[in-house]
Amino acid sequence: MPIYKSDTNGSRGFPGAFIAVGVFVLSVITLFLPDASQDEVASLLRGSLLRPFVLAQEGLVRRSIHAEDTEVLQRRLDSLEVVIANSNTLAEENTTLRSLLLLSNRIPAQYVAASVMRPGTPGSESMFMLDVGTERGVTDDSPVIMGQGLLGRVLEAQATSATAMDWTHPQFRASAMTVDGTVYGMVRAAPGRFREADRLLLNGVPFHQELGPGVTLVTSGLGGLYPRGIRIGVVIEESGSQEGWQRSYWLRPFVSPGEATHVNVLVGEEGEFRDANSWSEGGPQVQGPGAAPQELAPGTSDTEATTPR
Amino acid sequence: MRTPARIWSVVGFLILLHFGLHLSLGLGESAPDLLVVALLIAAREVNIGRGAGLGFFLGLLDDAFSVLAFGANAFALTLVGMGGARTRDLFVGDSLLFLGSYLMLGKWMRDFLHWVAVGSDLRESFVETMLIQSPVSAAYAGLIGLIVIAISGLGWETIR
Repeated sequence: MPIYKSDTNGSRGFPGAFIAVGVFVLSVITLFLPDASQDEVASLLRGSLLRPFVLAQEGLVRRSIHAEDTEVLQRRLDSLEVVIANSNTLAEENTTLRSLLLLSNRIPAQYVAASVMRPGTPGSESMFMLDVGTERGVTDDSPVIMGQGLLGRVLEAQATSATAMDWTHPQFRASAMTVDGTVYGMVRAAPGRFREADRLLLNGVPFHQELGPGVTLVTSGLGGLYPRGIRIGVVIEESGSQEGWQRSYWLRPFVSPGEATHVNVLVGEEGEFRDANSWSEGGPQVQGPGAAPQELAPGTSDTEATTPR
Repeated sequence: MRTPARIWSVVGFLILLHFGLHLSLGLGESAPDLLVVALLIAAREVNIGRGAGLGFFLGLLDDAFSVLAFGANAFALTLVGMGGARTRDLFVGDSLLFLGSYLMLGKWMRDFLHWVAVGSDLRESFVETMLIQSPVSAAYAGLIGLIVIAISGLGWETIR
């Protein structure tokens, strides 16, 4: 076999240099492409060349979830049973009060369970992928919830997968309020010195309204993106920066993005869940990974999957 | 012996391994940046145009999951590919010192160009990113690159 000689025609030759300049210009153009075009290119690459790697991660994530300690799962089940048992009286009172006020039953919110996958590539720190898509009712901007807190929202939903961002994304915004609905503000991500130090900042609180440490903030439903009542975080302290006659507060989020492995995505007809008055009172209904999308007739409820409050 | 088949097999293997570790296993920063190692090895074998093209392609693949700064990886790896190809005219040799420096500087330069391209809104502090985190990851990538070169027998006699 002849000894291999690398391409030594000179790295500065006219064609090579011309092509290099052309590719460099192309890379600069890519950097400044409109968001829609960037999404198209990224989606194309994710769905073609990188698809095998994504599928491999989906399989591994599923296996790791299935291998989770049964004792941990049993504890979670026991906790849920306690919550449901404690809610029975509340549900009865709610039904009675609604009938007295001649209010119809609330349509329960619907969720699909999803596994979270992290790309782990540079620049993808605030995003994750879900193994559910439009076939299961997920749409762009569907809220993603983990445990009892808001994790983020779907950016782009494909047929069987979705790309989402968590609350550490610089463009994350959520209209928030205190649980009693007396104080409103806008929550945004506040990057820390390190990724682990990221937290949330509540802006726009009127100067005459003060919040103490430990006050819980939930989504207000204003803006139409997140339904009312999803827990966001608790107040740590007042931020040093004040803008005019407004106060700002640091929040400790209920959900840590690094811990997200299994989440629920709020689904429904176009904009349906956003019209709901309250997420927490909606009686969330979670569909299992293998379940097909269901349509509930008004007034019907699945007592095993629905937890009216 | 360095043959085209062996060199490009190693480059292809490193690219597959990079996405396998970062994407399929989700290791993130725990895994070395094998994409830049593959590009730096390949760039020494091609002219500046092909080096830029390969860097752009690999950068786009890395950008597929970047919602924060799409194109930053493509921009960085294009320039690294061009620079890697250009080093053939500037440096001749395959000493351990040269190769180690080449791989580490290439990785540091990739991080620096990415840091520049992501924009001021997303940019973290220069000292922490470029003077603390990046040298560590550059040393990590450089070490893995040297091991790969030595094991694969790409012809750098001083290492083997």
